[in-house]
Amino acid sequence: MLNDLQLNNILEDFDIAYWKINLLNKDVNWSEHFNTLVGKPNFSESHFEYFLKEILHQDYRYDFRLYFHKLTEENEAFSIELKLKLSNGKYRWFECRNLKNKEKNKETAVLLFVNIHQSKRDQYTIEENFFYYKETAQMTNTGGWYIDILNQNIYWDNVTKKIIDCPQDYQPPYQEHFRFYAPEEHPVVISAFEKCEKYGIPFKIELKMRNLYNKDFWVRATGKPVYNEDQNIIGIRGVFQDINEQKVNELNLQNSLDIIASQNSRLFNFAHIVSHHLRSHSSNLCLIVELLKEAKNNSDKIELIPNVTDISENLDLAINQLNEIVNKQTILRKERRIVSFEKALSGVMASTSSLINRENAKIVAEFHGLKEISYIPEYLESILLNLITNAIKYKHPGRKPVIYIQTYIKNDTPFMEVSDNGLGIDLDQYGDKMFGMYKTFHENLDSRGIGLFITKNQVETLGGSISVTSTVDVGTTFKIKF
Amino acid sequence: MGQKVELACIIDDDKIYVNLVKKIIEIKKLSENLLIFKNGMEALDHFKLILENATEEKLPDIIFLDINMPIMDGWEFLNEFIKIKNNFEKKITLYVVSSSIDPRDLERAKSFNLVTDYLIKPIELKKFEKIFDRNGHAAA
Repeated sequence: MLNDLQLNNILEDFDIAYWKINLLNKDVNWSEHFNTLVGKPNFSESHFEYFLKEILHQDYRYDFRLYFHKLTEENEAFSIELKLKLSNGKYRWFECRNLKNKEKNKETAVLLFVNIHQSKRDQYTIEENFFYYKETAQMTNTGGWYIDILNQNIYWDNVTKKIIDCPQDYQPPYQEHFRFYAPEEHPVVISAFEKCEKYGIPFKIELKMRNLYNKDFWVRATGKPVYNEDQNIIGIRGVFQDINEQKVNELNLQNSLDIIASQNSRLFNFAHIVSHHLRSHSSNLCLIVELLKEAKNNSDKIELIPNVTDISENLDLAINQLNEIVNKQTILRKERRIVSFEKALSGVMASTSSLINRENAKIVAEFHGLKEISYIPEYLESILLNLITNAIKYKHPGRKPVIYIQTYIKNDTPFMEVSDNGLGIDLDQYGDKMFGMYKTFHENLDSRGIGLFITKNQVETLGGSISVTSTVDVGTTFKIKF
Repeated sequence: MGQKVELACIIDDDKIYVNLVKKIIEIKKLSENLLIFKNGMEALDHFKLILENATEEKLPDIIFLDINMPIMDGWEFLNEFIKIKNNFEKKITLYVVSSSIDPRDLERAKSFNLVTDYLIKPIELKKFEKIFDRNGHAAA
């Protein structure tokens, strides 16, 4: 057995100090190590009083006195964590408990003081870190996951389960865990997991996941390999961050940006085209003036007068057309209302009845799929008017014009299609110019080249798009996505 | 004034402009003959017909090409014209003429080797005379 000295040395090595309490007179004696830790009391002072007054943190005085009393009077064991002031003036955490009294020794009791400061601080750090981790995870919607390759198990933490929208006791299936990714992401996801599992390559990707109820959402995902002691990969762990809101905003923003950019470029073109169109008349006027100057006699001059008349008429027409475009653009400030397709169409047909009757045009409307829409009524009428007059204007010479109008909803989006049996157009040749300003493709006197330009503008102003398919000699279909 | 131009050609859909230029050429006696087409397609078809059935002397010495025309515009004409250019040796001076002051049109016109210059409408009488005169010298 160890003697007292050996025992003392061992206790000191473990940073454990102790008290010996005389149970008869309650005198306290403490070990040399305790002295070096906290210092010695004055000669006259009792160790106990000195301890309570100078060493023990005030928060624990009441409790300690109580425990001490119970120990000395009733031999009741105790254990308490408390703070002691060391000789350097700093408080440190100690665990204080009495050594078990096996021999029912009624004369002495022993109190051990074990320095637990480091572990206490570690515990605090862990608690603190855990707090921050939890708060961060919840605030940023970030959940952790672990794929145990050896045992073929998947672990999700609470936030991950919340993101996936599954119950907290849900056990994700190992074999089918790819079902939690949108199908179009499978190639990317499978390759990322494979590379991580086989070669230890970490990943950080943005992708669309699919929750338990098959709703897709955007996440940022990271994954890193987990190695065992032999440096073999035994699992993959990482986090999912739900970024759906941001991603959707980002995509919307990009969409708006694209629309603005295309509108900007259209405005730029518009300015140049307008200047070009007006300049062609004014330059003719300049030519006439020069010719008038050169004219040798009156009859030469009079000969030029009809040209002046033509130019002034054309200029007037061009300015009126521009006015029309500008007027249509300013309707933008008007508000959307619920408009019935049937009513809009009958309005347009009434105003074009002479044209329709003259050409014997047949208009078939199918509005069962979508009867009405929230739109600017003037725009819808103008769009119908332009597409219908267009279809009649470019009718096939061999047959009466038939126009088929249909509305429907596809993927939650309203559509309208206007088809005709007219001339058709070679889209390979003219497709990109179809909706340009002053673009005319047929030598037709009525062609002004602004109708489709205005139509496209109106559709896009309200956030939609227009596309065209056509076959020469068969017909043309305009498809509007509202 | 230098040697007269034998055959000038205007490809333009603006009837008034064409009339006025025709008058200028008549008054100033700038060219013996004048060909007029109202779009690129008509001109191209005519040129192809000449190359197949007649001598290339019948091709114009000078062409004034508008940009904005229906059926086939000036750019499309240029792209087609390049393809048949190797079928003849006659030197043709080609001007792109437009009322567009869009710098992108100017750049695009300059990117074609066969375009001598880009002229912005209106073209002054003196400028017309100079063009025909210079062309006469160049051809001589």
